[in-house]
Amino acid sequence: MISGHALLTRSAPLLACLGLLGIWQVAALIINTDSFPTALEAIRAIPSILGDKESLINIFASLRRMAIGFGVAVIVSIPLGLMMGRSRAVASFFNPLLMVTYPVPKAALMPIIMLWLGVGDIAKMLVIFLGVSLPVIYHSFQGAKAVEEKMLWSGAAMGLSAAQRMARIVLPAALPEILTGCRTGLVLALITMVTSEMIARQSGAGNILFNALDMGQYDTVYAMIIIIGAMGIGLDAGFERMRSKLVKWSEPGFDIPLSFA
Amino acid sequence: MNARAVTSDVLLGIVPIALLIAFWQAIASFGYAPATLLPPPGMVFTRLIQQLVSGTFQQDIAATLFRLFAGFSIAVVLGVTIGLFAAANPAINAVVRPIVRVLAPLPKVALYPALLLLLGFGHGSKITLVVADALFPILLSTYYGASMVEQKLIWSAMAAGTPRRQILFKVVLPAAVPSILTGCRIGLVISCIVVFLAEMITSTDGLGHVLVTAARTFQAVDMFVPLITISLLGLALNGLLQGVRSYLLRGFPEV
Repeated sequence: MISGHALLTRSAPLLACLGLLGIWQVAALIINTDSFPTALEAIRAIPSILGDKESLINIFASLRRMAIGFGVAVIVSIPLGLMMGRSRAVASFFNPLLMVTYPVPKAALMPIIMLWLGVGDIAKMLVIFLGVSLPVIYHSFQGAKAVEEKMLWSGAAMGLSAAQRMARIVLPAALPEILTGCRTGLVLALITMVTSEMIARQSGAGNILFNALDMGQYDTVYAMIIIIGAMGIGLDAGFERMRSKLVKWSEPGFDIPLSFA
Repeated sequence: MNARAVTSDVLLGIVPIALLIAFWQAIASFGYAPATLLPPPGMVFTRLIQQLVSGTFQQDIAATLFRLFAGFSIAVVLGVTIGLFAAANPAINAVVRPIVRVLAPLPKVALYPALLLLLGFGHGSKITLVVADALFPILLSTYYGASMVEQKLIWSAMAAGTPRRQILFKVVLPAAVPSILTGCRIGLVISCIVVFLAEMITSTDGLGHVLVTAARTFQAVDMFVPLITISLLGLALNGLLQGVRSYLLRGFPEV
């Protein structure tokens, strides 16, 4: 039996969604121009996009690129971040490079990368990889830095080698922080995916969105916005569930990571 | 940390950047990549300096900076206010929290077409996008900072006779400043990224537009220049914020 209060907190995000859609509906009715359809009209356009085979293939191609870029970035970034956190030399070696590259929009590298690799999948996956790796490296770095020295000393005293200490002490201890980085990275992957596709207009969800904008199909524009937004919220909520299962032992930190971009 | 350790850190940090530039130079000068695809670094940096003194490029930088600052300042004001009140008032919190939960993970770039349709192609849509993206890290860090203020501080202030209304501004806000500044730093980097992207998508001026124009005409050199400029701008603004931070936090223990 769920108490009324728990039910309310659980359904609060849903209510917020409905509220936002309601505000949209009212605002559209007041403004009443062609370029701003009501929420209902936009929602009504969703089935025609999701029912169309071509757009479905496009959206799945986008998701596949995103998954590959994200996966590779996580595999590369976590060890690098952990090493930076445990060794001062490694940290001071990579830190300035990361600081220089941080304010550069990764999707803006798209035109240059397209010159080298063409407009295909590899260029887009590379851009997603670059976008995801920075926050994951940063959070793994922070997590590994905060590991208690005493645990490492006891590990060393019990005869664990440096590599074993890394895998069996540093990695689990830094896991909550690493997963926060991954969660930020996940949303960043989605953003980079959309932007890379609207710069290299060839296929994908971003392409559908901006083509509809160019052709003045306003209800499709807004329907795509809802679809992409729902993907973001859904992926984030799914990841959050997984995270809270994996690191149940860690005290609940902030429930929304700070660094969404 | 003594001065010698810092110098050696800095030296070590320069190595990868120097290596990267050397590698870049090597690829270009050994002819692995034609200059139309990867211009040598010397050419890019000369072009950068040439551009920096030219009037049109300065105007582009000014347009980008204007949008960046306008968006960032609005985001700071909104984020700090909403975050502070959400932390202080349970009723506001109950409304703000679920909305933030829904909006924070939303990819804001996807909203850009809607902003374009509603606000037009000028400054308005770009500044709004910057606000939408920079707002959440600032809001959340303000909220977390303000909700973690030690209760004892508030009690002592009340015992010393501070009126309830002033506690928010005299105790909670100053105590939350370190956290707020962390949020501002994240927000600033995000603003740099977003303003550039927005200018790439539709614009008639700004650094992003410079990049897109260069890409359309396959001028590889001119494509690198705005990217390096935005990186330098980001670094400079970050340094500026660091200065503000050490000024504001001069009374705080260990930061």
